[in-house]
Amino acid sequence: MRLKRSNVSDEIPTASMADIAFLLIIYFMVTTTFAATRGLDFSLPQEEDTPPMIEKEEAVLIEIQAGGALIVDQKPMRLEEILDYLKPKLERNPRKPVIIRPQQNAAYGDMVDVFDELRQASDKKGFEVKNISIPTQREIDMFWF
Amino acid sequence: MRLKARSVQNTGIPTASMADIAFLLIIFFMVTISFEVDKTQVALPRTEIRLEIPKQSAYVSITGNGLIRVSAGDEISVSVPGPEEVLSFAAGVVQNDPSKAFVLKADREVPYRYVDSVIDALKQAKAQVVYLLSDQETIDNQEG
Repeated sequence: MRLKRSNVSDEIPTASMADIAFLLIIYFMVTTTFAATRGLDFSLPQEEDTPPMIEKEEAVLIEIQAGGALIVDQKPMRLEEILDYLKPKLERNPRKPVIIRPQQNAAYGDMVDVFDELRQASDKKGFEVKNISIPTQREIDMFWF
Repeated sequence: MRLKARSVQNTGIPTASMADIAFLLIIFFMVTISFEVDKTQVALPRTEIRLEIPKQSAYVSITGNGLIRVSAGDEISVSVPGPEEVLSFAAGVVQNDPSKAFVLKADREVPYRYVDSVIDALKQAKAQVVYLLSDQETIDNQEG
C-alpha cells in the first residue's frame, strides 16, 4: 500500500495582506479630515484683583454698531481708514491701547473684521497694534468709567 | 543549428510590493489623522490672518441662533444650555491643563452678545488663549 504524503506549506499565507491593508486605507481615507483649523489668536488677560485702569482718553475706542457701522473715537469711519487713523497715534505711543467695543446686537463677523484689520497693521502700514483689548460687557459694567 | 529555447515571459503584474505600499499609506494616514470633535455647521468669519490652531484644543461653538456646544478636545462636542455651563466646562478644562487653548467657532452673523458671554466665561475660567476660528479670506469674498 502506498502512503500519500501530505503537502503542507510551511509559509505564512500573506495573500490577503494587501486586501486587509487596502481596507484599512479606505477606512482612514473616509474618516480623516484635513480640516482647515486656523484662526486668529486672542490672548486673554489674566484676571487680577486690581485690574489696570485705562483712562478712556488714553485709548482709541472702536465701537461697532449693529449693521456694521464703525465709530472710532466718536467719528464714523470705514474699516479701511482705521489703520491710517491709528498710525500717527501709535507712532507717538506704541503701547496705546486700542479698545474694540461691539454693541451687543452687532454681528460677531464685524468684530472679527476689525480685529483682523488691526492685526494686519504691520503688513499693510508698517506699524504694530500691540495693545488690543476687547472688554466684555461684565468688565465694562464693572470697570468702565 | 540548434535554436535557443524560447524565453518564457511572465505576463502577470508584479504585486509583491503592493502590501508595502499599502502599509506606508496606512502609516501616513495614522500619523496625519485628526478626528473632528466638533461638527457644528456655522458660517465662519473670513480673515487674512490665520494661524494654525494647536491639536487637541477645547472647542466652544455658537450657531447662528445662539446654540452653544462644547468639547474638551478629545470627545465629540455636546450642547450646553447657556454661558454659565461654559464657565463650569472651561474651569474644568483649565484645571486639568492650564495652558489648554480654546477655539471659538462662532457663526459670523450671530449677535455679539452670545460671543461676549462666552468670552467672559473663558476669561473668568482663566483661559489663557482663545483662537477665533476663521475661513480663508479670498479676493472673491472681499469683492462680495
